[in-house]
Amino acid sequence: MILTIMTQLQLELTSWAKELQSLPMLDTVFTFLMRYLLLLLAAVIVVRSAISLLRFRRQPEIWAWVTLPTGDRLPVTHWENIIGRGKRCDIQVEYPTISRTHAVLTRYDDGSWTIGDAGSKGGVMVNGQEITVAALEFGDVFTLGGVEFTLVPITQEQEIEQAERRSEQTYFVQPGLSLGFLTLFQIFLMVSLVLHKDVSHAPTIFGTFFGLIATQWGLFWLQKLAHRKGYDLEVLAFFLTTLGFSIIASSTPAELPKQLFALWLGLAVFLVVGWSLRDLERAKLVRYFATGAGLLLLTGNLVFGTEINGAKNWIYIGSLSFQPSELVKICFIFAGTSTLDRLVSKRNIVLFLLYSGAICLCLALMNDFGTALVFFVAFLVICYLRSGDFATLSLICAGTGFAGVLVLRFRPYILNRFSAWGHVWENALTTGYQQTRAMMCIAAGGLLGLGAGNGWLRYVAASDTDLVFAFIAEELGLLMALFSVLSVVCICAFIVRSAPVGRSCFHTIGACAAGTILLMQMLLNVFGTIDFLPLTGVTFPFVSNGGSSMLSSWGLLAFIKACDTRQNASFAIRLPGQRR
Amino acid sequence: MKKISDRSNALLVFLGILLVGLLLFFGIFFVKGEEWIVFPGNPYTYSGSQLSQGTVVDRAGTVLMDNSDGRSYAEDALVRKATLHLLGDRDGYITAPLLTEYASELAGFDPVNGVYRFQSVQTSAKLTISANVQVAALEALGNYRGTIGVYNYRTGEILCAVSTPTYDPDQVPDIAGDTSGRYDGVYVNRFFNATFTPGSIFKLVTAAAALENLEDVAERQFTCQGEETIDGGKLICNDTHGVLDFQTALAKSCNIAFGQLAMELGGETLNQYVKRYDLTQSLEIDGITTAAGQFDVLGKEDLEIAWAGVGQSTDLINPCSFLRFVGIIAGGGEAAEPFLVSSVGTKSKEIYRAKTQSTGRVMGEETAKTLQEMMANNVKTVYGQGNFGTLSVCAKSGTAEVGGESLPNATFAGFVQDEEYPLAFVIVVQDAGSGSQVCTQMAASVLRACTAALDAEKDS
Repeated sequence: MILTIMTQLQLELTSWAKELQSLPMLDTVFTFLMRYLLLLLAAVIVVRSAISLLRFRRQPEIWAWVTLPTGDRLPVTHWENIIGRGKRCDIQVEYPTISRTHAVLTRYDDGSWTIGDAGSKGGVMVNGQEITVAALEFGDVFTLGGVEFTLVPITQEQEIEQAERRSEQTYFVQPGLSLGFLTLFQIFLMVSLVLHKDVSHAPTIFGTFFGLIATQWGLFWLQKLAHRKGYDLEVLAFFLTTLGFSIIASSTPAELPKQLFALWLGLAVFLVVGWSLRDLERAKLVRYFATGAGLLLLTGNLVFGTEINGAKNWIYIGSLSFQPSELVKICFIFAGTSTLDRLVSKRNIVLFLLYSGAICLCLALMNDFGTALVFFVAFLVICYLRSGDFATLSLICAGTGFAGVLVLRFRPYILNRFSAWGHVWENALTTGYQQTRAMMCIAAGGLLGLGAGNGWLRYVAASDTDLVFAFIAEELGLLMALFSVLSVVCICAFIVRSAPVGRSCFHTIGACAAGTILLMQMLLNVFGTIDFLPLTGVTFPFVSNGGSSMLSSWGLLAFIKACDTRQNASFAIRLPGQRR
Repeated sequence: MKKISDRSNALLVFLGILLVGLLLFFGIFFVKGEEWIVFPGNPYTYSGSQLSQGTVVDRAGTVLMDNSDGRSYAEDALVRKATLHLLGDRDGYITAPLLTEYASELAGFDPVNGVYRFQSVQTSAKLTISANVQVAALEALGNYRGTIGVYNYRTGEILCAVSTPTYDPDQVPDIAGDTSGRYDGVYVNRFFNATFTPGSIFKLVTAAAALENLEDVAERQFTCQGEETIDGGKLICNDTHGVLDFQTALAKSCNIAFGQLAMELGGETLNQYVKRYDLTQSLEIDGITTAAGQFDVLGKEDLEIAWAGVGQSTDLINPCSFLRFVGIIAGGGEAAEPFLVSSVGTKSKEIYRAKTQSTGRVMGEETAKTLQEMMANNVKTVYGQGNFGTLSVCAKSGTAEVGGESLPNATFAGFVQDEEYPLAFVIVVQDAGSGSQVCTQMAASVLRACTAALDAEKDS
């Protein structure tokens, strides 16, 4: 019964596509209009999201008050706070007996508090007891270097007032409307593609695009049900995913259903990672599991992996293939992030350094240098966030550079992979073939593009993964390619903007690391295509054709969702009123 | 928290790198996009090694080439033969630099739209040549190997640039298997890419130098006894002219008179003048780089200088460059730089239009005027005005000895002194004999075709 309906539907869609294609002038006029309209819609989508993500008022959440001996009270605006005399302390108190970094005041998911000594000279006392770490109840007196403070809760009125204030000047745009624009964008793109591809692909294109539209609205309503208002990050991610769908529809339409399935898996990962981050205690548990899983995945890859295009980063299970290194990105962030109390009490990063070293080594052994570089930069960023220590980082960089030189000295063939870099036009028919075709097609597309499905780059190997920047530029215009880059830029700028109002270091470090990975991948992908950097085969997040990449992109986005502390914005953040 | 959140600014460094890089790429795109479009192998511009875009038409709109669906040449076989060296063959033996030069325009490229076109409208390159004149020149050359070029010295438009031998690119003969010699050097464009011993047409250069350096030269008397011994060698004349003045010396093409002038001027002065007229320079004409001529007199014996001054010795000129030189005389000391492509565009949109550029004043007005009179006198007294009907033609012929068993190269250069038909011409015919005998009729028939073409344009 269902089968007959499906077959009937398929026939209907095919004949509809045929009719569309046979209309005189429709293609010409439609393509002409779309070249402007799609760009306009893309601009509206990206700009609306950018306004929402980058212009919100950074009103801190107040979780409690600390009263001083003078009677003044200072707000506690994070879950993890350093108290001390130093200028960069979250709660700065000017008493000579207090150390620069004196204590760490921590709030937990259940609303309980602790205070811990951060290696101070004067020591920490709670209710007269000398402690290193101790639970703190509201009303408890804690003494830092002989100065007495009291932790005072905020009242319900204050909480309500704060929620109102934080909601003001936060939501400039309606995410539902942005999603509406995106849907329009997708429908136009879909019709363009159907007009330019073989009619036999029409049912697939219609089906997957409607599947995509249904998925994004489904997620939207799901979050609406959970009383969450922030959907801009998802809109940008779905915008990029749409560009990816367009590329696949143009190059290998048969792979569209697979990509839609990958999107669903990605969303599942997104929701699971977001859910796990929502509860800090849960996140700390997941952290251990993820750290182990990361190593296991990569060593498994080394043992069972299959080499494709020179890099042994694929595992085949039956006809299913995936790249473990993509999932390891999520594990890596879990391993790298940490709460403030741990950072202050255990300052060393040796364990994480060893872990990162092991992962980079595995990737190097797989000849996956692009991904190794992404991990290395993410590692540097995490280390910097955790320690702020440039000297150690320089030392690590120098050491790694030295090791790299040694490797190249003894394994010079590795260099061959990058021999075309900077000389692609001299090697236009050999090692520089992909990049030169990419640039030719970028030029052919101009700023406005040739129309979805009208490109030539699809005949070039890996154009739907490594060369997507050029693919978008050719068919949808260099401006569209620019919008795709700006989408990721927006996401990363949002991380930086929301860091000062973050709740926990765990989330801030996680989001920064996720942003770094997304950014580095895009940077390597785009700059590889245009020969600013060697072509390393790193994917463009959300856009490149590939299930594993889609999975990891959405997983990384969950970390960014977890740092979105705008009032009632993110599902990965517990609503302020909620207690566990 | 504050410490950590401050450090998140590290991300901005990467964002900065990315944005700067992207900005840089946009700059490169605007500068180099065109280069990428015409780079060999661009699927939008070439199919295989051939331009797959655009049509080429002559000045009257006759289609010479259409690349829209594979390459097709003009309908008329004679036009195909006459334009082969401009448009190139299918196999790449004869290149067509002018197509490559305008490949990006023909592909319809601009940075905003790329190669997008609203409808499949072909872009067309309009050449300055006239298919009819090309055919007339081809027929005038007959079985000779050589070249005829005509250009408008006021506007710079090249109306005719024919090179023989040639063949029909739609019916390629068995060139490799040919033993008759009729296809010798068939792949060379003799107008742009070859050099020849000029013979006596070079006396125009010596005359110009003499007029500007030897004050009394116009009143001088020369004595020609058929030959003269210099440095133990002999300078030989084509006749024994006896006593003759400067104007008659040019008309009768007296080697003794011009040999003496050359020696008096000296190698350095002559060399200076050859340079001033760009006769040993390559010219850039719509992507075509002309062959550089040769004039090698510095540090040479008097006899060599004398022979060089009459267009023999090791002198070599490129017909196109020499045409430009004749144009300078005709234009009164300055002329328009020759060009071949007048415009590129679609019916609705013009992408490129040629602009007339001047050579600048390289010859004194008086000198040019005197040379004009002397060349007019040549036609009146030697070549016969009757050949040219009502056209007031000024010219100089040459018979260039090339040695070996070959007959001399017949050369002929001149112009029409008429603002309605400001045409300069040059003819070089290899292995032919006397310039005045071989070339006069050729010049006459090509000029007739040119005036007819220009008249037709005026009517429409």
